[in-house]
Amino acid sequence: MEDLYIAPERDKPEIDFKFSQHHLQLRGESFPENAVAFYAPVASALMNYLGETRNQQIAVDFELRYFNSSSTKILLNVFRMLDQASSNGNTVHLNWHHDAEDDTVLDFGNDIAGDFITLKYHAVPSRR
Amino acid sequence: MHIDMFKAFRQFVTEQGVLFYYNGYLSQPIVAATGEALRGRLEADNGSGKVSRKVFSTFVEMMQNILHYSEGGSVDLNEKVPFGNVAVGRLGERYYIVSGNIISSQHINRLRDKLETIRAMSSDEIKAEYKRKLRGGEQDDNSKGAGLGFLTVAREASEPIEYSFEALPGSNDALSFFYLKASI
Repeated sequence: MEDLYIAPERDKPEIDFKFSQHHLQLRGESFPENAVAFYAPVASALMNYLGETRNQQIAVDFELRYFNSSSTKILLNVFRMLDQASSNGNTVHLNWHHDAEDDTVLDFGNDIAGDFITLKYHAVPSRR
Repeated sequence: MHIDMFKAFRQFVTEQGVLFYYNGYLSQPIVAATGEALRGRLEADNGSGKVSRKVFSTFVEMMQNILHYSEGGSVDLNEKVPFGNVAVGRLGERYYIVSGNIISSQHINRLRDKLETIRAMSSDEIKAEYKRKLRGGEQDDNSKGAGLGFLTVAREASEPIEYSFEALPGSNDALSFFYLKASI
């Protein structure tokens, strides 16, 4: 299936889903006015990809620096979808890039890891 | 504005440690542009650390709160274009973010209940309630976002959030100003 690329904007993240390489990347800022509308095509492409993917190693690089409350709620659903991909023999490696000075992004990552236990979670601290 | 009034205004703003003030119509591009300007201002004032992120997060939630829920502007209330005021400043070591916008007075009781409930919570309780609501399927019919705006503001704040309602003169109590304040 086709890769998905959405260029970043001031209030929207870069979405770089290289389905062909089983590598998914989210990077930047996420506070669109309507997070549901922004993430709908992202979630739908992901669902199609996961529906046809079996026994794969999938790498996810999560590099959002800031996400607002409505984005947070939707991101939780994205990770739920990734968690369910294990039932098809897939292994999802979630690389959680976060500012070493700020625990909010890390706290959310730790919550995700606690909720969705099939995800192979790696917290990756960075310094800006 | 007379130049003497502007001097007094400038002096007041300086004394109150105002770093940023916005008064006007709101749209998402304005939220994105002012957010970027504020972030630059905060980084110059405080560096790019944890506190700046909390102030920025609170600012975005308050601006989007106005965007979603304000009852229009001070110029023409029949025009339903979001309108509001937001100030960000620092007094000593504490940052504050205050917002003001017009709401329909029928929402006052519901908002007061919601805010009082949050004000009575400890910071651990706020975190727990945030996690619970984030995972919950319950949908607040009045909410246009995730329904997590006030909880997010309270989670970032270092003191209980403050609020005030004030009837809008000439509206026969139909409309009120709603003020919200967080300290970080």
